[in-house]
This record gives sequence, C-alpha cells and structure tokens, in this order.
Amino acid sequence: MTGDADESASSATVEDRREEWKGPVPVPSGANTEFWAATLEGELLYQHCEECGTAQLYPRAVCTGCGAVDPPFERSEGVGSVYTYTVCHVPGEPGFGDRTPYVVAAVDLAEGPRLLALVDCAPDAIEVGDSLEVRFWQVSDEAAVPVFVPA
Amino acid sequence: MAEPIVAGVAESDLGETPDRNWLDNAGIATVRALEDADLTLEDVDGVAVGGGDDYMPALVLAEYLDLEEPSLLEGTEIGGSSFENFCGHVGDAMARGRADVVVIAYGSTSKTGPGRDRSLEVTHPVDGFVRPTGLFRPPGAYAMAARRHMHEYGTTEEQLAEIAVATREWASMNPKAAQREPITVEDVLESRQIAEPFNLLDCCLVSDGGGAVVLVSEEKARELGVPEIAVAGVASTSTHRQDISEMPDMTTTGAAVTGPKAFDEAGISPDDVDVAQLYDSFSYTALVTLEDLGFCEKGEGGEFVEGGTTAPGGELPMNTQGGGLSYCHPGHFGVFVLIEAARQLRGDYTGDRQVDGAEVAVAHGTGGVLSSSSTVVLRREDA
Repeated sequence: MTGDADESASSATVEDRREEWKGPVPVPSGANTEFWAATLEGELLYQHCEECGTAQLYPRAVCTGCGAVDPPFERSEGVGSVYTYTVCHVPGEPGFGDRTPYVVAAVDLAEGPRLLALVDCAPDAIEVGDSLEVRFWQVSDEAAVPVFVPA
Repeated sequence: MAEPIVAGVAESDLGETPDRNWLDNAGIATVRALEDADLTLEDVDGVAVGGGDDYMPALVLAEYLDLEEPSLLEGTEIGGSSFENFCGHVGDAMARGRADVVVIAYGSTSKTGPGRDRSLEVTHPVDGFVRPTGLFRPPGAYAMAARRHMHEYGTTEEQLAEIAVATREWASMNPKAAQREPITVEDVLESRQIAEPFNLLDCCLVSDGGGAVVLVSEEKARELGVPEIAVAGVASTSTHRQDISEMPDMTTTGAAVTGPKAFDEAGISPDDVDVAQLYDSFSYTALVTLEDLGFCEKGEGGEFVEGGTTAPGGELPMNTQGGGLSYCHPGHFGVFVLIEAARQLRGDYTGDRQVDGAEVAVAHGTGGVLSSSSTVVLRREDA
C-alpha cells in the first residue's frame, strides 16, 4: 500500500491496485486533470465557485450556477451518505466479471455534490442513509478511483 | 390550432432480424405505415428519425427511401422519447404549412447487430467517473432510482413485479409479443438477479426491429378519410443525461413537468385518459411515470398498481401490446407507445385486447437513464 496518510492527517489512503485492476481507467484531460492528479495524493476534489458558491462534480470548465469559467477546486472531507445504491449481479464493464456481486452507490458528499462510486462492502452491509468515507484505489499511473467504505 | 393526425402506424418484423440493418427496419416500418395510411413514398414531405445508428439519421433515411426534396428533416436525439418529441416539431411545421405528410421512424438491430459504437461515451467528461464503478447500465442506474423510491415511499419489489405481471397479461393477447406465457409476482421475484432490486423480469427485452408513425395535416387527413386520431398535446423536457447521479431527485422524473403541460394543451386531466402507453424499460420506469403523470399521488404508485389496475379489465389499461417488458424493446421504445396508442383509439382490436370506447390515450417516452420525458396526448376527434 502506498499513500500519504503520514504526510497529511486528512488525506485518505491510496491503495495500489494497478496490477490487479482490469476495469476502465480514467484518462485525465481538460477540467478533469487537476481532479485526477489529486486522487494520487488521496485527495477528493470538487469545484466550488467563488462567485456564487455552487459546488459541483464532475469537473467542468463552467460553473453550472453562474457561468463563471474554470471554477476553482476545493478539497472535500471525503465523507458522505448513501443517497441510493444497487448491487450489480451482472458486470457492467469488461474486467468486472470476477467482482460480482458488487455495490455501487450514489454518494451525497458533505459538501453537496453527488458522486457515483464503488462501495467496498458486502452487498447486505449497506442501507440508504449510511455514512461512508472515501478511499482510493490507484488504477493507473495517472489516476486513483474513489471507492467508499462504511464510516 | 392545427393538430397533426396519425394516419398510419406499423412495425417492421420484430425479434431477430439478422439479415437487416437498422435502416432496413426503419425503411420497412415506414413503407408499411404509409400503406396503412393509404399513402406512398411520393407523398412524403419529411422524415423524423430517432435512434438510428448514424450521426445524420434523417438524411440517411431520406436517401434510402429516395425522397424527393423533403422539406422537414428531424433527428433530434433525446433517446427513447425522441418520437414523442418529434410530434411537437412536426405539428409546428404543419401549422406553418411546411409539410403535410411526415414519417416518424425508428429501426435497430439491438439484438443481433454489432455492439453499439461507444465512442461518444468515451469522450464524455463524466465517463471517467462512472465507468470505473462498473455500474451495469442502464439496468443498474434505473435500479438505483427504484431503490430510492422504495426507501422514500415504502414501495416494494412485489409492487414493481405487479407491473411486469399485468404487462405480460396484455402480451399474452399479442401474437407479435416475444414473451406471451403468463407470469406471477413470484416468477418475477425468483427470476435471475440483475441489479438489485431488479430481477430479470423487471427488465425490458432486447430486440431487433423498427416502427413508424405517419403524421398528416388535418387537411390531408380529411382528403384521406382516415380516422382522426389527433396529436392534441405534446411536451418534452430533460433532467440530466449521462449519469444517474446527476438526476436531481431520482423519485421524480421529467414526466411531472411534461404530463401537466401536455394534458393542459389537450384540455384534459389524467381522469380523462382511457388507455396509457408508458415507456417501460424497467418496471420502475412505468411505476414512476404513472405517479408523475398524475394517475395517482406521488409515492403511491406501488399501491396503485396492486391487484391488476393496469391489466386487461383494470381501471387504467397500460401497455396493451405487452410493453418493452414483454412485446419488444429494440433500444428506443418510444415509437411503439405511439403506435399502440393510435391502434387502441382506432379500435383495431377485438375482445379483451381492445380497450372499450377508448377516446383519449397518453403515450409517454423516456430517454437516456430516466433523463428525458416526452408526453403526447392522442384523441379520437370523431368520437
């Protein structure tokens, strides 16, 4: 396990899964570049507009609240709650065949944005409203995907 | 107000069409629908094509059919609700005298054709966030919405299953339906798990096939002497596109907006609707649409569908051809809800298959992952 938990108390652990990961790999580009770079450091970013206060994910070149260009990133605390979830019995991507059944949730971050993410837990260990916190699985040299665990 | 009239409807062959491509199926459905309207290709002023596996679907169908100087070319792609959306655009064009005969068409080879080109999705910025979750789309995305509905309103898997059971009952009377054997709530609950809370029988079929609807101006309709099935109200909207997590409230769809608008335009209320054709990509899709269109209160969809409300002989006959769950689902089901709505209003059927005295029908299209909603009210004017 790599990770910078020692360097910063509030960064989440980053587990190196590059060798075993068979799923799709995010390709940083444009407004996403800063987001994915931060994941390698165990940081979950979201955009927080200075002009109007809108908080948003996925990263975009415009603020959906006021139209400001390139709203800046802020660091999320990485905690949230389950808005809803499903248990996938059929893999939705090549490379996920060995993983079924697995949990995917829509996670409401404390800062507002809602994020779709894998939840690393047993299918019967999750309910709507549960508290979660983020971890990261590094899946390439460029990106670590956010994965949540019960808080 | 000039209202387009549905003069003809038809499907291509459904199920498996390995020797056809999407365009063949759209073309075959088109000529059959024209024949149904007693029209020919020469009469066609324009085409509106949704879901075709081409980035200029209207142009390619116009060329395929060798249309001469078509004046209306429509290809606005909003998924399964594209065809209902077209009804509004075609009506506007007809009101301005720009067309008298327009074909709304769809074709696909979802079942036997090559996998869909996913390149557009790969370049979407949200993709890097969604695809690494492995979410099985679309079922998993709809399943998440259903789960939230269950959480907020106490909706049960049994209630979702009731929709599949009632829909199958209708399918049992349709020779064109792919699945006609009656099923029970237990059958649905015991079918293979796909994405919780959905089992296999909560999910639509995957089919090849196409469909077409011929819309004509009121003047043309009088000339043809066809039954006057009028597009009396239309409305469309969207709430999000690619990622279900961007849907503001997964228990309320765009139908809550488009239903009241379309009903208002038609001068009706949900109580006036004799037969409902509601896009059923999944059992939940139909359930939430029933609520959002106002057939019952928000959150009471589960209770509403209990006991065969939407089955033959029920209070609100729904998806009377067997729906996407049992009849066919070639990817964009929206054209088929229009076709069946028109047939019920024309009184094409006999026995239990025909909804007695049907004068007002609602056809609802859903696109994306509960992303777009289009509602069409059809009314038999000579009733």
